[in-house]
Amino acid sequence: MEFETQLLYPIDQLLLAVMIFAIMFGMGASLTTDDFRAVIRKPRGVLIGFLSQFGLMPFVAFGLAVILELPPAFAIALILIGCLPGGTTSNMFAYFGRGSVALSIAMTTASTLMALLMMPFLLEIYASGFTLQISEEMRAAGADTDFVIPTGNIIGSLLIVLLPVAGGMYLRHRSRDWAKTAEDTAGFMAIIVILYLIGTAFIRHSGLFFDTPWQIYAASICVGLLGFLFGYWMSRLFRLPPLFQRAISLETGIQNGPIAFAIILLSFTEPIQSQMLWLAILYSTFIVITSSFITLYYRRIGKFDYEIYQNTIIHNRLFGDNYVTHYPEGFLPQRLESDPSQGNSASQKR
Amino acid sequence: MENRILAPNLAELYKRAANRYESLPAFATRRKELDWQPVSFRELYEKGLDLATGLIELGVEAREHVGLFGDNRFEWILADYGVQFCGAADVPRGGDVTDDEMIYIINHANVKVTFVETEQLQDKILRLRDQMPVLEEIILMDPDAETEKGVHKMQDIIDKGSDLRDQGDLRAENRMANIKPDDLFTLIYTSGTTGKPKGVMLTHANMTSQMKVIPIRLDCTDRVLSILPIWHIFERVFEMYTISCGVCTYYTTIRTLGDDLKNVEPTFMGSAPRLWENLHERILKRISQAHPMRRLLFKIAYFLGKQYSESMYHLRGNNLKLTPPSEMIRLLTLPLHLLRWLVVVPWYGFFNAAVLEPIRLSAGGSLKATISGGGALPVEIDKFFNYIGIPVLEGYGMTETSPVLAVRLPDQLVVGTVGPPVYNTEIKLVDLETRKELYPDPSDPENGRGKRGEIWVRGPQVMKGYYKEPEKTADTMEGGWLKTGDLGMITFNDCLKILGRSKATIVLSSGENLEPEPVEMRLNQSPYITNSMLVGQDKKHVGVLIELNPDEFARKGIKASSLAELSGNKEVNKIIRNEIKKMISAENGFKRFEQIQRFRILPESFEVGDELTNLYKLKRHVIRDKYADLIEEMYSPEPVTAGKV
Repeated sequence: MEFETQLLYPIDQLLLAVMIFAIMFGMGASLTTDDFRAVIRKPRGVLIGFLSQFGLMPFVAFGLAVILELPPAFAIALILIGCLPGGTTSNMFAYFGRGSVALSIAMTTASTLMALLMMPFLLEIYASGFTLQISEEMRAAGADTDFVIPTGNIIGSLLIVLLPVAGGMYLRHRSRDWAKTAEDTAGFMAIIVILYLIGTAFIRHSGLFFDTPWQIYAASICVGLLGFLFGYWMSRLFRLPPLFQRAISLETGIQNGPIAFAIILLSFTEPIQSQMLWLAILYSTFIVITSSFITLYYRRIGKFDYEIYQNTIIHNRLFGDNYVTHYPEGFLPQRLESDPSQGNSASQKR
Repeated sequence: MENRILAPNLAELYKRAANRYESLPAFATRRKELDWQPVSFRELYEKGLDLATGLIELGVEAREHVGLFGDNRFEWILADYGVQFCGAADVPRGGDVTDDEMIYIINHANVKVTFVETEQLQDKILRLRDQMPVLEEIILMDPDAETEKGVHKMQDIIDKGSDLRDQGDLRAENRMANIKPDDLFTLIYTSGTTGKPKGVMLTHANMTSQMKVIPIRLDCTDRVLSILPIWHIFERVFEMYTISCGVCTYYTTIRTLGDDLKNVEPTFMGSAPRLWENLHERILKRISQAHPMRRLLFKIAYFLGKQYSESMYHLRGNNLKLTPPSEMIRLLTLPLHLLRWLVVVPWYGFFNAAVLEPIRLSAGGSLKATISGGGALPVEIDKFFNYIGIPVLEGYGMTETSPVLAVRLPDQLVVGTVGPPVYNTEIKLVDLETRKELYPDPSDPENGRGKRGEIWVRGPQVMKGYYKEPEKTADTMEGGWLKTGDLGMITFNDCLKILGRSKATIVLSSGENLEPEPVEMRLNQSPYITNSMLVGQDKKHVGVLIELNPDEFARKGIKASSLAELSGNKEVNKIIRNEIKKMISAENGFKRFEQIQRFRILPESFEVGDELTNLYKLKRHVIRDKYADLIEEMYSPEPVTAGKV
């Protein structure tokens, strides 16, 4: 599919930029330097999370792009989304999905830093085949240059979006209360802007929704869902506690959408920019819906083990670290009884 | 049925709980903010047996009444274990017991052995000992307090019993085996209508029947924060219920409540309306101090919470139904509620997560539900907590019914009612004047729903009677039915709605029972006052409606053509204010909670046939209904200075 006009008008681009700034600022406002230290102290969960985020997820995106035979611009956008670090949205979902919030925050922190290194590397591996296709198409249309992934620009855009994060962290350091306000306002703004973008896209390019082939819808929905699924099973395979499984699963599937917008706007040009943006918008919309359902599901299946975990934590908090809670025989299911990490790991404490 | 333990008597319940829950914590006492002392079910049981053996050695007989004066602490529940294991019944009262009450209770209940909690109570009881000829032994509960001569330390009794048990003493076990379901487990004295307290006789069967009917599921992973006075039946039923479910109870105080909510993260709480008012105030205060942006976010969130909850109530049929439902209207409005729900739900999802959850965290964050009882919960506070996602289940009961009669269920949460009657409990409504049965009424197509009458109840939880008061018992109970003295109505979704009192007694939100007649008689002695009526059911303070005597004012030179004109006169208001202050004072023997805080002068006089009976007695519910707005305005948050005493 081709875009006859630009998907986003300059005013929209400005709005988007403000939103990205606000969200990244809000993300920073929710982080403290303690979160970075926690990563170093208890690296196991974060390490497995890292494997899941930068190992599984880009591969899932690449696989989908190949299987669904996506046009190259969409394929690159999908892979770009697969390579993104996690955002703060996932922390909120982890909290409500009874996952480990500490791990979710640690993974967000670690992956955001690691993205500077991993994203150019991963894009090089997975996207190079699709860049060749674009180059061929451009040559066929009469252009005389090759299309290359603008690695330098991507690192530059990443650095730019990390600036407000640092600003937010500084605000948090100065005033907890203001930081909390910034965080909530950012979340609220994000919803409004996303809805505005979809709304305007619908009005201006009403045909767009119908012109978009089903493969693109499938890709933007499935990339998140498969991320949840693989993240969950991988951490389960490594015998992580249930709270970690849920946190890693959500962190893997939910990517930092605003960074995708920033990179696409700052590093790519037409004709492929609009196509990439369209996929990013679709992903950002569907991920909110799918992760809401996954969170409700996790909330239900995690109810029992979470209550036991929480009770144990509180017993240790109030009765001392050496207090051991013995439940009556047959109260705990086999799965939890044989899980030594159930509630005893300090890194689980929120 | 889930895993709650059922037993024919409380001693057996304690034993079965120890056998099933063993080392799990049963009760925890706060030493410091993050330093709590747990006691396991097994420890409590063994210690209780030691204490019981010591008490038997001291001469406590089966079915004897043992005094228990004190407030919430682990030793209280231990003393209760000891008394139950002896086959005796306890006679509890809080640490704020007055001299007169203590003398009356000990003599009336024939208490030979009593526990006292603190040194102050020890001093009090020793000072009054001459007036209590039957009292033989006093046991001091506080392990850190010094005992006077002739007073036993609780620990010594336990040690003695422990030694005896080591030598093979099985007297306590034998006593336990001989407890009959019809034996008393407690004798609770409530402030009565004539000033003298009445002893409510509650049996093991009464209390164990409650274990079956409480509709809240709890298990070993739950935590209950205890704040109500432990000797109050409403708190006590939860202590028993947590034992039945293997839940740990954490004792807190109003002073440390904020921290304890945060650290204990209770999953369940029983509480009085006062606590919710307190939390409500705290939350609103915090919000009013927050940044304007956060205030705005809260307002939006609250609005969405309200829309979401209201549409949920309608979709699930849990809205307040006071009039017969019409199928037509239901079919027409249902799509509208569904539409509202669909529009609101995504926004509510976000605001619920971002704004309401942090507020819920300030109330512990893990509350699955809470039961409010011991007085009516003001409806706006009720709604506030339900809208922000803390399900408040209001219950209804009284000491005489040990106590639960009705409670809202999590999936039948009808705000404005106290839910359906609990299992096995029958409720009927009786017309106050004609004594005709209004509900259930098979001749009425609606079975008497929506009609207002006095609530009568019958069920396994209803008391045996008032101790040594056959006349008062006969006044209250009729053919197995207990007259609650409350007015109520059954809604069209079969929930009970409480509409006030048919008896004169006013229960303040602090839980104090106030008899209005003595106060009113005193006020009516004033030359300026013809008649007066106290109000303040479920309010913090008592208030009064005054009917003036215009002749007296005319004599003083304040002339007016009508009562209405007089009631607006500043001078008149000042005179009345001084009269009230002078007459209802501590010097005249009125208790602090009886002292009137607010008043309103009525613009009309009471008329026989309307507000008064043929015998010139007040028709209280008529007056309350007629002047409902005036009373509401008197209690409005910003009192008009003219009407404040």
